[in-house]
Order: sequence, then structure tokens, then C-alpha cells
Amino acid sequence: MTPSLHRIAAALLLAGLFLVYGSPAQADDDKVVLVITADASDYVLAAGGTIAKILDDGATGYLVRVTNDDKDSWELTPEETARRTREESEKAAKILGFKEVESLGYRAGELGGVSPTELRDRILFYVRLYKPSVMFIPNPYAEYVEVLDRFYVGQAAEDARRAASLSNYQPPFAVVGLETHVTPELYYYAQPFDPRRREPESTATFVPQPKIVAIASTFGKKLAAAQALKTINHSMAMRVKDRLETTGRRLPLLDEVDEVSVSKLVEINVRKLAEIAAQDTDHAQAEELHYAGVEYQIPTKYLQ
Amino acid sequence: MNTENMWLAVRAGVCRIVAVLCVASFYFPTLSGTSISPLPEGHVPPGKTLMVIQPHHDDHTWQYGFGGLIAKMTEAGYKGVYVRVSNDEKDGGMQNGWGANDISNYEDTLDATKNLGLGEVISLNWRNDHMSSIPHIELRDQIILLIRKHRPDVVMSYHPWGNYDRNPDHRKVSWAVGSAVWLAGFANVRRDHAKLGLEPYQVPHKYYSHRSDYGRGYHPNIFVELSEDDVARKAKSYRLHKIRVSAGAGKRTRELLDAKGLKIPALDGLSDEQAHERLQEMLMVWISKQRGQENGVPYAEVFYYMDEWHGVPGLSDYIQANVVER
Amino acid sequence: MIFRAIIALMLLAALPAVAELPVVDISPGHTKTFLVIHPHHDDHSWVSGQAGLVTKLVDAGWTGYYVRVSNDEKDGPHGYPHDDMVNLFEAREATENLGIKDVISLNWRNDYMDPTPHNEIRAQLILLIRKYRPDLVTSYHPWGHYDRNPDHRKVAKAIGEGVWLAGFANVHPEHRKLGLKPHRVPYKFYSQRFDYGKGYEPNVVVELSESNIRRKARSFWVHRNVRLRGSTGRRMRQLLKDQGLAIPELDGLTDIEAHARMQEWSMYDAARKVGGEHGIEYGEIYAHLGEWHPWPGLRDHIDSNAVDK
Repeated sequence: MTPSLHRIAAALLLAGLFLVYGSPAQADDDKVVLVITADASDYVLAAGGTIAKILDDGATGYLVRVTNDDKDSWELTPEETARRTREESEKAAKILGFKEVESLGYRAGELGGVSPTELRDRILFYVRLYKPSVMFIPNPYAEYVEVLDRFYVGQAAEDARRAASLSNYQPPFAVVGLETHVTPELYYYAQPFDPRRREPESTATFVPQPKIVAIASTFGKKLAAAQALKTINHSMAMRVKDRLETTGRRLPLLDEVDEVSVSKLVEINVRKLAEIAAQDTDHAQAEELHYAGVEYQIPTKYLQ
Repeated sequence: MNTENMWLAVRAGVCRIVAVLCVASFYFPTLSGTSISPLPEGHVPPGKTLMVIQPHHDDHTWQYGFGGLIAKMTEAGYKGVYVRVSNDEKDGGMQNGWGANDISNYEDTLDATKNLGLGEVISLNWRNDHMSSIPHIELRDQIILLIRKHRPDVVMSYHPWGNYDRNPDHRKVSWAVGSAVWLAGFANVRRDHAKLGLEPYQVPHKYYSHRSDYGRGYHPNIFVELSEDDVARKAKSYRLHKIRVSAGAGKRTRELLDAKGLKIPALDGLSDEQAHERLQEMLMVWISKQRGQENGVPYAEVFYYMDEWHGVPGLSDYIQANVVER
Repeated sequence: MIFRAIIALMLLAALPAVAELPVVDISPGHTKTFLVIHPHHDDHSWVSGQAGLVTKLVDAGWTGYYVRVSNDEKDGPHGYPHDDMVNLFEAREATENLGIKDVISLNWRNDYMDPTPHNEIRAQLILLIRKYRPDLVTSYHPWGHYDRNPDHRKVAKAIGEGVWLAGFANVHPEHRKLGLKPHRVPYKFYSQRFDYGKGYEPNVVVELSESNIRRKARSFWVHRNVRLRGSTGRRMRQLLKDQGLAIPELDGLTDIEAHARMQEWSMYDAARKVGGEHGIEYGEIYAHLGEWHPWPGLRDHIDSNAVDK
């Protein structure tokens, strides 16, 4: 081959490499965020600020709420609870900037009886449908989370993200036009129940790493979204009050349980959660997540 | 009316009668679990080993089989094993708890099956009336292991397609048996068994039975003639399960008869408990006689029998017509 | 290099082996009822808990119940139903020794619990929680991932959810027909084995007295079916004898009595070791979840602002 041909070949090769690897990062308005949540409040309280940031930057957001929250209320039937929470969860999602909410309708607290592969494949459907650039899922590795639905959903969602890239999972999906998809970024979220939540179990090659994200700019939206979940919030307030009363105590804030006091209680909760996440950082308000990015499962030496 | 019209009228009438009979035959003939006409006679197949696989301690012998057939086969030289799949903890009162029921029912099984000529009882001890959540394959594979170990020529169990059986344990176990008897013959099913020297083995002769007094009943396809001795052993094995005998029931029966000015002389001099034992034996004799009468013999049991070529229905006739001695 | 290594080693040696845990005060309690929920007959009395805590609660006037979830058929040499019955009998004796009022057996099949629907076991536990309205539940750790025993994992998971879901009226609303109201368990003490895997992270130590340990130690070997063997007593004595040693306290005891005594010593030893690591004489360690655990963002506010009625 002549030197000039060498140069042409090299140029073509470099151009090819540039096209494949050197493209600028995906513009945010091309970005798709898919959030999987077991219940209406968990993702808001654990990751709402971070999600709002990404959506504010132009990404399109889809929320999949797996259960119908039908248990989380005070003196309402499950059916009425489910109905109200559905409306409120859609309102909360809109505040954060989501385009659409899908409610799968599984009964809250009953996911222990649902086949894990059924849950996985329901979520897999949405991964292949929306082709997200980033997913947020409940962290199934977080301990002391008594709401086991979050564990089951997190486990299923993690598996769905993996399976979505493999054509031998649900071949019928391809028949209907749902092709395989690789989601490059994954965030695991959980409220701060686990005292060891900041400890990674291993290196970035093997496990997602803790990541603290500042949310001062979107704290307002997070709070507004949390406050929109009126039925769940009222349930929380009443259960706190009930426990206090049963043991001969009272919280003056909850002497009257109404929209004002409940809203205030939610604000206290959300502010404190943001403060807990910001501890030992320079941030005023933050969220604690675990992150698996593009370098996940690529050994460090190959990244250098 | 002219001849043609008369003929049309007769034809219409006959059609109506036939239609009525068809409808009646749909609703009525299975009430007693028997077909209208006698069944073909089944014979003890050539073989040496039989395995009776049932969920409960006493399922081997009652109105629906198998005690008489078991007695007949062991009399003919068969050796047999009884597999009790559950732990029978629910069959009995709670005075002494579940464990006591398990032990008591198991011991009765040893006596009752020995009386029929069976040599061994294997208990899998799955939880009685909690079997629905057991993975089908787990249960099936236990049965496959036992089939490959004992290589029975005959398996008896509840009918795998007895969809109307209300008892969830019956449905669960029969479903597992229904696939195990066939899958045990495939080398690629549980290849690890080969490490124990257990070769694949397909059960050639299956006798199934189930309750026929509700739902669509079931349709046996053979009867097996029993001798008086077979029936006597069946009758005794039935009441050797002490849970089936109670002094209270004996007393109640006597009172009922007494109220109508009747009595059964054979019960004279017996205690209430002994009387109930005798009554239970009489029940077994009666039902065996009933089945016998329906089939033109003194005593019988009826079954759904699947023979060794059941799995290849298109070849069954050809094989039977052309098979020769080696 | 060697000098640096020596300094590093000295620094390491200066560190305490285990960071001391806070000694937890037992809350006065409201119903003063507790449940000990375990898969097996003898799970209440291990090195890792809970017999010491049980005696402490009983001494403080609490009423306790033991829930045995499995039928223990696999634990012992006598065959399934016999082992079930013997182990239940001994569970009654052992827990009575600790001051427990009653034993309730759910009899799920021992070591076959994996296919048992989680919701079924949980439903039973919710019913019992609503019946007894315990202020405190103690069990294996629901997040004890390294527990090798499948029954432990299964039951702990059901409890981890049950203690919370029992507080929701729309969970098993049919319970109301029995007059059973929702009840969320406020205090949970979880324990698990810590001798393998990543262990577990207790966050409190319960201080025990000699009286607590004495009852715990006895309850340990009362499970004779599985924990006492004359042959072990004999073997231990022979091992000692082969080395020219003897333990005077074992003189005059039969082999089985000797084994019982040694089992008691092991309980004392373990409690003393745990206590020593936390600045007390005897202790048991737990992962304790307090009454405001479900609302970490509200805990401080409630603690600071709640007043007496």
C-alpha cells in the first residue's frame, strides 16, 4: 500500500473511531429517564431531586409505579386508597417533570407472592419501549427497608435492565417491534434506613458505587412533589400520632391533623432526609444514591 | 295421514326419543360412577413389582379402590411398596397435635398395607393439606427416583385427570405421578440418577382411580374381578385405619336403626367401636359387590387402566398384532 | 519500610478490637408484651441471642410468647414426627425456664420452607401480632443475607415485613371481624450469627446479669434432643485425660451431666466475651430498630418535640 493510501486508510479509521466513540455526549434533550418505583413516595423521597435535575436539563421522563399503594392510608378502603394515590402520584410526577406515569396496579405489600420473572418481564417491556439513557431503581441491596415491595421491585428492575440487552429474553417482544436495548447508566436509590449505605461492598468494577448528588437547585420541586402525595402523607401523620398517643405522648404539630400540619410534617421529613444525605459533604441538601455508569464492570486498567 | 307423512312422523318421534336418551345419558349414568354396560375385564398383568403412590395413609383402600386389586396382585406373587406422600398431620384431632397424628396414621398404614401383602411403606412427609405450594417438579422428581429404584411393573394412584377431586393433596400428587411414570423412562430427565446406578425406567401398567360421586365423575375402562379373600383383606385394611372407626359412629348407627325398629344381627354382642369396625368392613364388601354386579361378577373394583402402549396410540394395535417372541 | 510497618502494627494494636456499642435501655413498653418469633425450637437460645434479653424483659414485668414457625422434623435422630413432638416439648420447657408464657407452633415443614408462599407465613405472623400487640419482637435479622439456614432467611423476611404491615388497616382487613385492630410493632431486636460471611452489624448491646445468663445457659441444654450427648461429655473428658488434664467441676457427674455443664459454660463464656467488648460484664448484641425507624427524616424532630400528653 502506498504512503498516501496509508494516510487515507488511517484517516478513515480515525473518522470511524470518532463516530463510534468520539461523539459528543448525548444531548440532554435526547436523554430518556426511566424511573421504576414500588410505591408512589419512595422514589420522590430518595431520588426526586436528582431526577428533577435531569428532567430540568431537557431529558424526557417516564415513571413506572409497580404497586397501587392500596394499603397506605388511614381509614380508607383499599380501593379508595388506590384511586386517590393514583391521581396524586401522577400529580407528583408532573411536578418533577415526568412526561408519563405507568401504574402496573400490583397490590401493595403483596409482591412477595408475585413471580420474580413476571415482575422482571413487565419492567423489561418498558425498558425496551422507552429505551432509557438512565434508569433509577429501588436499591435491593439496601438493608432495613421494611417495605419489601421495594426489594422485590429493585431486584426485578435490576434484572430487567440486564435482560433488556439480551435477545433471548422475551423473543416475542421483538415480534412486536421491541428490540433489545442497553441502558448505559443506572442509579439505585433508597431512603436512609441502612446505616452502612455509604459503604460500597467492593470496587467500581464489581458493584455500583455510592454517589451523593447535590439537590439544592431542585429541592423545591422535590418538596412540592412529596407534598402532593396527600393520602400517603396523611397516613404517615396519623400513624405517627397514633403511636405517640398510645404511649402517652403528643407532637404539638399534630394536635390537629389537617392539610397544613401534614404538609409541614412532610417538609420536616424531606428537609431532614436532604440533610442526612448531605452529612460530611459540602452540600447543603443532597441525595444518596448508588451509581453504575459506563465504567461499571470494566476493569480500571482498561479505562486508563 | 299418508304413508310418507306417517314415516316422517315416526322418524321425528324416534329422533326425539333418542335425543332425550342422549340427554339423560349425559346427566344420569355417571352418578354411581359406572358406565351403563359392563366394562372390559382387566387381568393382573405379567410382572413382579407394584407401587401404590398416594397422598394419605388410607388412600390405598376405600370405595374407589385399590385394596382389592392390591390383594389380588400380591396373592399372584407381586411384591409391593406403598408411598405415602404427605405426613397426614391433619387427619385426626388436635388433642395431641400434628406430630401425634402423623405417627398414629403412619403406624396404621404399616398394619393396613401389610395386611394387603405390601412389604414396605415409604413416607415423603410433605405437609398434609399444604401441598399446593410445593413445586411440582420437586415432588415429581422424588417419585421418579423411587420409580427408578423399584422399577415397578404396576403403579396405582389417583387419576391425574381427576379434575373434580376436591382434595388438593389428591390433585397435587396424582399430577406428579401422571408425569413421573412416563418421564422416569427418559435418560435426560435427572441424569444425576445414573450416578447411583439408577437406569431410566418407564412404568408399563398404570391403574388410576378417583371419586365418582361429584362433578363429571370419572370413566373407568376396566373392572377387575375380586375373590372373597381379596374382599375380606380389603375390608380389614379399610378399618385398620383407626381414624375410620369410632364408637360414637357405631352408637349413632345403632340408634338410627333402633328408631326404625331395625337391627343388624351381626352386630349383636359387639361394643359400639367393634360394631363400627364391622360396619366399615360391610361397606367395603357392599361396594365390591356393587361393582361386581355392574360387571357380571360377584365382586369387583373398577379403574382407568393405561397399558404399556398408551404413550403411542397410533402403534398400539400394530405392536400387539405383530409382536413375536425373541 | 520495616520501621513504618512496625509503627503501623503498633497503631493497629492500640485500636480496640471492636468498637463499643451503646447499652440499650429496655423501654418501659406500653402493652409490655413481646414475641420471640423463630423458625426452630431452639433458636431462642444461642450465643447470638435471645434468651438473655427474654429473661431481662420478663424480670421487668413483660409477658412473652414464643412462636415456632417450623415443625423441627429434621432436628434429631428419632424420625420426623417424633422429633417434631420432642423438640416442641423441649421448646416449652426451655422457654418456660426463661419465663415465656406459651409456645405457638405453626408447623411449617422444616427445611422445606422455600416454596411456602412468603405471604402465607407473613399472614399468620400478622394475625399473631395483632392478637398479642407486642411492643417488641425479636427474631433473626431480616437482612442477615449470610445466614446459611433457609428457614432462618424465610422466617426473618416474613417478620421484617410483618412487623410493619400489621399496622395497616387495609392489610388483612378481615381481622377486624375478630376485633383485631392494626398494630405496628415499635421495637425490633434482630440478631444473627456473626461467625461467617460479612457478619452483621449490631448497633446495641443489652446488659445482662448473672441471673439472666444462668437461665439462658440452662435453656440452652434443655434442648436435650439436639444439644446433649453423653458421648460428647465422654469424649471431652477423654481428650482432657489424654493431655493429663481434668476439670474438677465435672467430677462425680455423669457424661451427660458433664456435657450439660460444659454447654452452660459456653453460654457464660460467650456472654462474658460480648460483655467485655462493650464495657459490661455480660451482654447480647442486636440490631435494634426503634419506633421511628420507618421515618428517618422525622426521628430527630419527634424526639425533640414530642411531649407527654
